[in-house]
This record gives sequence, C-alpha cells and structure tokens, in this order.
Amino acid sequence: MKQTTTKTSHQDQVEEWANFVRENPDKWKAQHTKFINAQIKMANEALQRIRKQKNGKEKIVELFSVKNKQLIASL
Amino acid sequence: MREIGDANILKEFCEKFCSIVDRHCKYIIVSGYLAIATGRSRATQDIDMIISKIARPAFVALHHDLVREGFNCVQGDKPEEIYDFYLAENTSIRYLYGNEFLPEMEVKLAKDLLDNIQIQTRVKIPLTNVDVWFGSVEMGIAFKEEYLKSEKDMEDARHLRIVFKEEINEQNINSLKKTIREVRLS
Repeated sequence: MKQTTTKTSHQDQVEEWANFVRENPDKWKAQHTKFINAQIKMANEALQRIRKQKNGKEKIVELFSVKNKQLIASL
Repeated sequence: MREIGDANILKEFCEKFCSIVDRHCKYIIVSGYLAIATGRSRATQDIDMIISKIARPAFVALHHDLVREGFNCVQGDKPEEIYDFYLAENTSIRYLYGNEFLPEMEVKLAKDLLDNIQIQTRVKIPLTNVDVWFGSVEMGIAFKEEYLKSEKDMEDARHLRIVFKEEINEQNINSLKKTIREVRLS
C-alpha cells in the first residue's frame, strides 16, 4: 500500500513538471540547467576524491571499465 | 569546457561531440537525453548516439578528429581495434572529454532497419535549444513504451507525451511500435 502511494506521488511529480515545461517555455531551462549541472559536478567531484584515495585510480578504472592505456596513465 | 557560466554541461558536451561527428557521418541522439533535453528532470551519466554504418577507415578518421578535439575513447586508443572489437560486433563504445568521466557519449553503429529509419527521420528540436540531430519524439516514445519499458523509460515517455501533446500522432507511434515488434522482438 505504501509503495503504491509513493509511486503515484512520483508519477504525479513527473507529470506536474512536464506540464510546467510545456506551459513555461521561458522559465524551465534555468531551473533545469542548475539541476543537471549540480548532479554532474557533484558526481565528478566525488570521482576526484575517489581518485585521490589509496587504490583510487584502480577503482575508477574498474567503475568505468577503462581499457584505454593513455587515459589510465592520465588519471 | 566545464567553466562557462550557467551553460548546461550536457548541452555543451553534446553539441561539441556532435559537431565533430557531423563532419564524418549522419548521427542521431536517442533515448534518455531526448527526454532530458526537452525538460525531463532526472540524472544521466551518458548520452546515446547512433551513427550511420560507416566503414573502418571512416571511423578511424572520425576517432582521430575526436581525439584531436580533446575526447578520449574509454575502450582504447587504437581506432582500428575499437572498430573491429566493438563497433563491428554491434557493441557500443564510450567517449569522454579529457579525463573527466561524466558525462560520456555512448556511440554505436546503426545495426538494422529501425536504426536506419531513425537516422532518416532525424529532427532538430527547437524546444531543447540543443543544436544537434535527435531521433524523432514519436520514435522515442515508441521505443520507450514498446521496447525499453523500464520505469525510468516509461516516465520519459510520459514526459514526452505531455510536452509534445499537440504535435505527436498516435497512429505514427502505433505504426512505429509495430515495426519495433517486427524488427526487434520477433
């Protein structure tokens, strides 16, 4: 029961935001850009911290399945 | 590439990558980024690109051009091997800018009639303000509802249906779903 309520609420949010985009062509992009950029910056900053850890470089290589030797050397 | 004021990181990355690919072959951006560029508020770590089925020498030239402009292929640095081991085997490859791991561009060759239809019917979508070629919105909806079907994909499709309410043609979507069933699901 609790799961159904949560899912419905989430679907409502998806629809409300989609309607906001449709009805506010001049407003949605600024909010959206902040949201997208914040996620990518946060994740990249976390990866930088991981890279500095002991065995951090190996973790990054494993996380992203990196096989490019030049790229690995540049980490 | 990451320090330009309030520019959208994904848009900047995508436009730069696409402008290079555009010199070599036809391409389309598909799946999640179509929804995100049209306002869907969710995270992603990659942008999906399908390129026309170019031969090995053309890919080698494209790869060198990408590297010259600062991109690195995660799978390797020898384009001949990347082509033979991955693209020719219908396996996607990934490029990132410099050694920053997010975002990344996932690239694959067109592999069947559906991919070719998508490339032939590619569109630019002014709402996105991203100057690249996308697969059509109707194809995006059809793929997500008929083929991909995860919760995230169904939400992407719902978003596209609402945002493009006045423009989408349900008959076209149903026809595309039929083609998806015939080409990919039979």
